[in-house]
Amino acid sequence: MAEKAETLFKAFREHSVAEFFKKNRQMLGYSGKIRSMTTIVHEYVTNSLDACEEAGILPEIKVEIDQLGPEYYRVSVEDNGPGIPKKHMGKVFGKMLAGTKFHRFMQQRGQQGIGAAGCTMYSQITTGKPVRVTTSTGNGMIYECSIMIDVKKNEPVISDEKEYPGTMRGTRVIGDFKEVKYVNGEYGPYEYLRRTAVANPHAKIVFRDPDGNRHVWERATDTLPAIPKPSKPHPYGLTAHDLLEYVNSTKSRSLRGAFIQTFDRMSSAKVKEIEELTGIDFNRRPDSLTWEEAAEIVDAIKKVKFMAPSTKNLYPIGADQIEKAILNVLKPEFHAVTTRPPNVYRGGVPFIVEAGIAFGGEAGKKTNGSRKMELMRFANRAPLLFDAGADVITKVVNEIDWKRYGIRDAENIPLTIVVNITSTYIPYTSAGKQAIADEEEIHKEIKLALQEVARKTSIHISRRAREKEKAEKKKTLVKYIPEIAGALEKLTGANKKEIEKNLLKIVSVKYKEWEEGEENEELEKLEKAAVKEDIEEGAIGETNE
Amino acid sequence: MNKKYEERRKEVLEKLKELGGTIVNQINQEKGPYIEIPVRSLSNIEFDEERMRLKLGEKKAKRSFLNVAHTRKFMQTLLVASFAKDLVTQGLHTSLRDMYYALKRTIPGTKENTFEEQTESDAVVVDLEVAEDILREEIHLNADVRGRVVGDVTIVDRGDEVDWSKLGSGGWAIPSNVEDIEFKEVNADYILVVEKNAAFERMHEDKFWKKENMILVTTQGQAARGVRRLIHRLAYEHNLPVIVFTDADAYGWYIYSVIKWGSMNLAHVSEKLGTPKAKFVGLSISDIDRYNLHNYTIKAKEGDVKRARELLQYPWFQRKEWQEELKLMIKKGYKAELEALSGKGLRFMTNTYLPEKIEHKDFLP
Repeated sequence: MAEKAETLFKAFREHSVAEFFKKNRQMLGYSGKIRSMTTIVHEYVTNSLDACEEAGILPEIKVEIDQLGPEYYRVSVEDNGPGIPKKHMGKVFGKMLAGTKFHRFMQQRGQQGIGAAGCTMYSQITTGKPVRVTTSTGNGMIYECSIMIDVKKNEPVISDEKEYPGTMRGTRVIGDFKEVKYVNGEYGPYEYLRRTAVANPHAKIVFRDPDGNRHVWERATDTLPAIPKPSKPHPYGLTAHDLLEYVNSTKSRSLRGAFIQTFDRMSSAKVKEIEELTGIDFNRRPDSLTWEEAAEIVDAIKKVKFMAPSTKNLYPIGADQIEKAILNVLKPEFHAVTTRPPNVYRGGVPFIVEAGIAFGGEAGKKTNGSRKMELMRFANRAPLLFDAGADVITKVVNEIDWKRYGIRDAENIPLTIVVNITSTYIPYTSAGKQAIADEEEIHKEIKLALQEVARKTSIHISRRAREKEKAEKKKTLVKYIPEIAGALEKLTGANKKEIEKNLLKIVSVKYKEWEEGEENEELEKLEKAAVKEDIEEGAIGETNE
Repeated sequence: MNKKYEERRKEVLEKLKELGGTIVNQINQEKGPYIEIPVRSLSNIEFDEERMRLKLGEKKAKRSFLNVAHTRKFMQTLLVASFAKDLVTQGLHTSLRDMYYALKRTIPGTKENTFEEQTESDAVVVDLEVAEDILREEIHLNADVRGRVVGDVTIVDRGDEVDWSKLGSGGWAIPSNVEDIEFKEVNADYILVVEKNAAFERMHEDKFWKKENMILVTTQGQAARGVRRLIHRLAYEHNLPVIVFTDADAYGWYIYSVIKWGSMNLAHVSEKLGTPKAKFVGLSISDIDRYNLHNYTIKAKEGDVKRARELLQYPWFQRKEWQEELKLMIKKGYKAELEALSGKGLRFMTNTYLPEKIEHKDFLP
């Protein structure tokens, strides 16, 4: 029976994905004209970043969008990546490989598996045209072709091939799309790329919008992020369905072997415990496991003690890198960042929360000349632009009492909040993959991260307010000095200049006193507030690993 | 100028210099300079039952240069003090309005003026009076000129002899500073003070003051300092009773209370301005029933009632008679003007109402 399911799944993968796409495009990010445009940019840029990183190349990505007609655009994305070998071209741009990534329990930007081929499909559906790809591995030869998809067979159709000598390394793809719309707002490609720059300080991004404006986000660091490795799923949090999938995808001949090989923290001693609890013989072949037995095992697993999952395969952006990116992109007057220790949700999925706050400068959402608060959400470095209302990050941001941190009228100040969730498996709320589900542990970690950066910001904001107040007070005192000195000269005959000089001295001595006293007081107060808050949140006396 | 006056002039000058000197000393010792000023808010105003006048309590406040909430006022106080010194030194007199203009200027490097409104400089003058125990008149600042008087009285004012009975229909306009007035001849049995100018003119036309052998004064609204000082001087230097006649409402009665006990603003000079022996002849709310004036009442407005409730709380309005009047007004919800008496005939006031009440000493305390 299991064998039969596997065959069916295979058949589904090979033959009806393209059809499936046509019917369910909204699930893949092609819902609405504005969102479709951003999805196209997202798919190409993500592919380019992944390709560069895997090849150890510092990415430089150029995006150009031209308007060809009403709701009709040409999108061109070029990278300096390793190039695509001729024989793989069709697979990348002309074949939909849904499901392949499911088996890779690892941290990655997209979790779609549709990617660039999806764009080809969208171009084909809306304009009837192929996409044009130019690529070179840097071997002196440039290869160019047009690609379409045979929808029935889910196979690439390649035409107009050209090969010629030239110096280039990387890939450029150009596609024409209808039923798309370019906007400059928070759902458009500009914002998508701006945020990509924040989460990817190692990339240089150049963008030309349909109006011909050129935007450049320079690289803020020369350090490439570590390449995520696939990791094993942890036994906690598995469903019977997952279990069947996993054990059948190994080459192991026994259930015991499959378990030890497939799952994190699984040893023969632990298998023995499960064996004793369920009475199932783990020497059996993996494909002999039935659904009912799998369900029994899942129940048994809950009674067995496993070490928390390994977090060594999580690669957060890193506080120092976020800091560089924020300084580079937002040029803020003040910023604070933090990377929380790894934690686990649903008992078995490791994740890390990172947060940053930027205040002043180019931080905040630009609206009619003023700047307002903006929230940048990321999942594994990829910006999440849509479905903000359903996202746990938005929820936590709204829960925080910003006033408590001296951030009054939080909506209307130049503030950018950055939150990135890094995980081997991001729990999205829906197939659109734009909102992260409200998992209790993730919720709490986001809150702790935001409170930490908010506290740092609060110190800055109150210091700024105090300095401003002090400067104003001083100005108030100083401006009256000439009048006072003049009147005193008239009253007593004392020298006006002398009085002025002494009054100025009195003012500056007074201000030094204030500075020292108030600074210490303020820091003490914040320290106390922080401890109180941590106790309330239950973060003290608890370890995360 | 007499000798006493010259001595006082020197004393005032010395006080002003000393004020400046104290501050210069503080500055030279690198201390934040300040001026101490008695608090003039209601919380520091006491009613001296025995002497029947309002007086200032002991509370003092520091006006400090280093307190940004005070700095501006600190500067203003010194500007007024130095201006006063100039006036006294040069023997010039001027009005509060003149002083305001003389001292108002833009502070360099700002859009701020040394004084924005005359109320600011007026307030500082009072502060200075209180702090240094000097009268505004002694630093040559004249108060508002308001109030007129007629009667069989001859005075000497800056060398001129003035007979108050021979000044036609207008009477003598009372100056702001009556310190130097000399009373040469006073023939009167009492002083009648009326709030309203119209009533004053009506009585003057009938030569009511001659018939009654009294001095007739109008305050023309709230009594200015000159009027109050003049009443005080006549009442005590010539031992004359004082009878006050105002509208039947909280504002009219407060005019009476200021003449009698002094005002909250000038509680520090009640000693010189108040006339505790003054009595109130009318108009009272009970008069309305007694003289059947119901047709001539006015409905009390919200503000009238509010003011009446405030008066009810003042210690100097705690007399049983006044509490009753105030409560009656609030209860009935009406008030009456002096002119209401004219409803009973133009001469009702001078032929019936006043002579009757005065003869029977039908007064409120």
